[in-house]
Amino acid sequence: MTAVSDMNTPRQTLNVGFRPDGLATRLRRRYFRTPANALISLLGMAALLYLAYHALDWAVLKAVWSSPDGTSAVCRDIAGACWAVIQQRWRIIIFGLFPYDEQWRSMLACVVMVVTIVLSCLPWFWKPLRLSILWCAGFIIFYVLMRGGLFGMRAVMPADWGGLTLTVFLYAAGVLIGMPMAIAMALLRRSEMPLVSRMTGALIDGVRSLPLVTILFTAALIFPFVLPDWLQGDKIWRVIIGFALFFAAYQAEIIRSGIQSIPVGQEEAAKALGLSYWQRTGRIMLPQAFRNALPPTINQLVITFKETSLIVIIGFFDILASGNAAYGTGEWSFAYFEVYIFVALVYFVFVFSLSRYGAYLERRMRFGQH
Amino acid sequence: MSEAAIRITGMNKYYGRFQVLRDINLDVGSGERIVICGPSGSGKSTLIRCINRLEEHQQGRIDVLGTELNDDIGNIDHIRRDVGMVFQHFNLFPHLTVLENCTLAPTLARKIPAEEAEATAMTYLERVRIPEQASKFPGQLSGGQQQRVAIARALCMKPKILLFDEPTSALDPEMIKEVLDVMVELASDGMTMLCVTHEMGFARQVADRVIFMDKGEIVEQGRPAELFDNPKNERTRTFLSQVLSH
Ligand SMILES: Nc1ncnc2c1ncn2[C@@H]1O[C@H](COP(=O)(O)OP(=O)(O)OP(=O)(O)O)[C@@H](O)[C@H]1O
Ligand SMILES: [Mg+2]
Repeated sequence: MTAVSDMNTPRQTLNVGFRPDGLATRLRRRYFRTPANALISLLGMAALLYLAYHALDWAVLKAVWSSPDGTSAVCRDIAGACWAVIQQRWRIIIFGLFPYDEQWRSMLACVVMVVTIVLSCLPWFWKPLRLSILWCAGFIIFYVLMRGGLFGMRAVMPADWGGLTLTVFLYAAGVLIGMPMAIAMALLRRSEMPLVSRMTGALIDGVRSLPLVTILFTAALIFPFVLPDWLQGDKIWRVIIGFALFFAAYQAEIIRSGIQSIPVGQEEAAKALGLSYWQRTGRIMLPQAFRNALPPTINQLVITFKETSLIVIIGFFDILASGNAAYGTGEWSFAYFEVYIFVALVYFVFVFSLSRYGAYLERRMRFGQH
Repeated sequence: MSEAAIRITGMNKYYGRFQVLRDINLDVGSGERIVICGPSGSGKSTLIRCINRLEEHQQGRIDVLGTELNDDIGNIDHIRRDVGMVFQHFNLFPHLTVLENCTLAPTLARKIPAEEAEATAMTYLERVRIPEQASKFPGQLSGGQQQRVAIARALCMKPKILLFDEPTSALDPEMIKEVLDVMVELASDGMTMLCVTHEMGFARQVADRVIFMDKGEIVEQGRPAELFDNPKNERTRTFLSQVLSH
């Protein structure tokens, strides 16, 4: 009972009277302080410029951007990048096997899902009611658009969904189902009933010790044999549940570590005020646990985004698999590098935004806000 | 002081084999102010933490405000709403503002409407003399200010009994007085208080009764003047001479 949490120590971060120097002054101070320092800076800059020039030369100056006749002939004998492959094949990368005439639906659905994700990152939506409405609306619109069969839209089975849209949907659904599972598992593992905590522990350890591929395989191909028909649902849902379970097993341990790093006095104070178990958990423990566990949580979310590409194993065409299909037709097969760069760029946009958002949350929480 | 607010009879508590509290018998009248002192490890914290069941006792009986403490969760939560506690390390909720710290339990556990809870909270924050800090976070306050917020937070539940576990031990000397002043004021309002502290001046000023504990037992009790100036037990005398020589 002697540990004083550092939360309790006063902290003041004010830089009164600090005036930033001009750019030139700052550059001189940082990179040209001594002759040796200046030499190293110059050499470094020269090397950087050289590399940047070559990259630019390949990617922009000598690149071919489009193919007016739709064939790969424009890219023959060029020294630069063949971006024409993207111009010609981007629909496959983004929409996978979705029927060509209906691809506007897939586009719209993808935008809806991304907007839903972005909106739920805004603090205004951080109320249980608002979040639930947002996500229900997001998923319903997405599902109706993609699945069709309503409002005169042609039905498209989930097996034909693909590309970026499928990746984003799988990710959002997996995390959204996985996060409550993770919270439940973390709390059950801390239960005072030994049987409950042991069984949850065994489940978490079990799931974590299996490769994701095995879990997806089981969910997609083995469960149809063991589950009664009415419990099976579509393959996509079984895969999402498997994916969510895998995410939850890791995230549960992250949350549990977040709970464990809360000083015991917090729960005692909440108890002493007469708050019930659920009030203590929802208002005192979990908010602080998520705060403590923010960096590993963002980490897990990033890893999970990249792991969506594994569903190709069971026959779904996520963005990476669709990318393979986009150049794999013989005609464009030389342009795989450009396709991969494009796919990598898409991943980068998502993952980088996620980590910037994580940094924003950390900054925001440093001042104790919620 | 007719009706007992707290009645402890023949209570024993163990941590595994180790007996922390031995045959504790203690009646606390409503409105009575009690100071508990004794050497480190003598079981003072454990005793007052048994009163709101942050610790469970194994033998004997504890009645608080007419309800016996047992495994009935509903009873416990009910009693805890009427028994406030102030901790050595404040234990404010760092993710909530000062005002939210004070309104959380009244709105959740007592179901008081938000505006009313806020108005009450501001009254008590004024009483502990920090209304201007209401929208700050605990991490932005000094130790003394945090402890006064903790007192206000406990008061917002309108408790019938207040427990203090060494409320000034984690504070710098210049902050001790501001917290003690608040406590003296509370005492003069007729709050039932049990306070573990080594602040002898405070004990003399407000306590109706001082209890001296050692090795898990209540060794001696009496009016502050009696116990401090005229201790009967050898162990009390040794302890007092050590505390006073500081
Ligand atoms: N959770 C625990 N498990 C085992 N022993 C404990 C536990 N908590 C306290 N004790 C022991 O019980 C005894 C009484 O502890 P307690 O905290 O009540 O003492 P205290 O009188 O409040 O001391 P201090 O003045 O240092 O706060 C001590 O010997 C302590 O080591
Ligand atoms: Mg103690």
